[in-house]
Amino acid sequence: MADIMLPTASARTAGFPAAVSAILHQRLLSHGKVRLALLILIPILALTILAPVLPIQKPLETNLRAMMQFPSLEHLFGTDKMGRDIFSRTLAGVQVSLMVGFSVAAIALAFGMVLGTLAGFYGGVIDRIIMTVVDIFLAFPSLLLAIGLVSVMGTGLVPVILAISLADVPRFIRLQRSQVLALRSRAFIDAARTVDASQYWLMTRHIVPNTIAAMLVAASIAAANAILVEASLSFLGLGIMPPQPSLGNIVRDGQTYLEQAWWISTLPGVVILLIAVGLHFLSDGVRELLDPRSR
Amino acid sequence: MAEYAAKKLAQMLVTVLGVVTLVFFTLRLIPGDAASAMAGDTLSGEALQALRQQMGLDEPLVQQYLGFLRNLAMVDLGETITTRIPIAELLLRALPITLSIALATIVVSVVLSIPLGTLAAYMAHKGRNWLDNGLTGAAMIIDLMPSFWTALVLLLVFSLGLGWFPASGQLNWSDPWALVLRLALPVIVLSLSQVATLARITRTAVLEVLNEDYVRTARSLGWSELRVLFRHALKNAALPIATVVGLSFGNLLGGTVIVEFIFTIPGVGNLLIAGINSRDYQLVQTLIVLYALLFVVINFATDLIYKTLDPRVQF
Repeated sequence: MADIMLPTASARTAGFPAAVSAILHQRLLSHGKVRLALLILIPILALTILAPVLPIQKPLETNLRAMMQFPSLEHLFGTDKMGRDIFSRTLAGVQVSLMVGFSVAAIALAFGMVLGTLAGFYGGVIDRIIMTVVDIFLAFPSLLLAIGLVSVMGTGLVPVILAISLADVPRFIRLQRSQVLALRSRAFIDAARTVDASQYWLMTRHIVPNTIAAMLVAASIAAANAILVEASLSFLGLGIMPPQPSLGNIVRDGQTYLEQAWWISTLPGVVILLIAVGLHFLSDGVRELLDPRSR
Repeated sequence: MAEYAAKKLAQMLVTVLGVVTLVFFTLRLIPGDAASAMAGDTLSGEALQALRQQMGLDEPLVQQYLGFLRNLAMVDLGETITTRIPIAELLLRALPITLSIALATIVVSVVLSIPLGTLAAYMAHKGRNWLDNGLTGAAMIIDLMPSFWTALVLLLVFSLGLGWFPASGQLNWSDPWALVLRLALPVIVLSLSQVATLARITRTAVLEVLNEDYVRTARSLGWSELRVLFRHALKNAALPIATVVGLSFGNLLGGTVIVEFIFTIPGVGNLLIAGINSRDYQLVQTLIVLYALLFVVINFATDLIYKTLDPRVQF
């Protein structure tokens, strides 16, 4: 019964929004890591959204009078061999990255929550079937699974999102299952059982809300990871194909001209790194806020 | 122990069968079929039919599947569809290269990360947090750098700029020094993220042990700090470190594909990319299965080593 006495008990039995926001509310914006994360992510997000109205060349527009130009005020990241503006292409690439990161996190979260909860809560045959499939998927190194899937599904945004998600879903199922297994034997679940709560009620009202925090932390790491994997696939020529810019294929384009125009490859890479670091600080900060032990 | 190993082995075999089955049927999901995807618009009618026959695609699915299993079991890897070279022959040349890169990376990263992680843990233990924070922060950022980007930056600075390492060229196995120079940058790129991961694990493991009673006892006996660190702390922290080395092998395999591509090294990764680009599904399916097998076997070995080395684990 001890855990019912904890201050977070009200959040524990409440639904999703209350469980997370009750703890986050007061402290989120004053947490150092979260602040740092927002300091990195918000300007990138703002520039990406504002890109169409900024006074910069369009991402696909070529300008043969301004080829391979060194970064300047007019072309912040310089230009490539066709005179395209790298800064503008980078922002278009960030848009792709964010779409990939968000979609993969959402898909992994949705499938991971449902299948992981079913496996952990019911156990038995359902658990064994789900976990056997999970183990098979986890037998592939994740980048190689994505490469293999893309080689079958083809290139482009949707296949890339599906391929990366398929590599991530098993990890989320496993995390969710282990959380549910740990919760299943806790005192407050027994308490709910004594008043004849239905299985569905137990799952949706008592178990799932308590797993959301850790899953959200995992999701933001998965988003950062998905952005890196998409960039790697596009770099290898297996992801987003030119002329549509993606951070990976801009770097690939510049590889040939590394000596004459180092900015084409290196500057978009810095942006990938910044996004990944931002998302990691965000997940670290949120985890520290949600985990009572680290306070 | 034997019972445990047998159980794990059985589990591994089930996983391997699942892996092989998954790869086989995924490749059958290609719109049209593998033959028409491969030929594109270049072949029609009879020529396409001949290609299908060559690839065994005209046989019933179950028969294809059983044939695939039988060939794998007998290590008959077949030949590439486009160039008709035996795949085993290609692998015999490519696999040693990829494995040497992976092995060198593991050695380099273990040698570097254990002292760094131990140092960070020791500093945190002594309350000198600025150094610990610095090392931990640097490790996180290095871990998040996209490896293809790191590779290009290092290539730009150390090959094209300073001229210390060759950026491309043949692998010359008879000249060890040239080989070391040629493989140095790829190994450094892969080691960076491995070191970052391993150093963090080492830090956590050592820090945990430093707070144990037996370390305090060792100190109270008047032993030097170094002896306490190495004889007691590191020895006990070795197991989690070894486990993570095994687990991170999968990431390492993925990383070899990228560095082989950038540094034009004729390893398995480049073979895979060439296979995908020429739509040689026979080659791609064999290589993906091979990568998964390597990963599964390493995990199995890590698991067994863990159980053998840790006397506290009960069977």
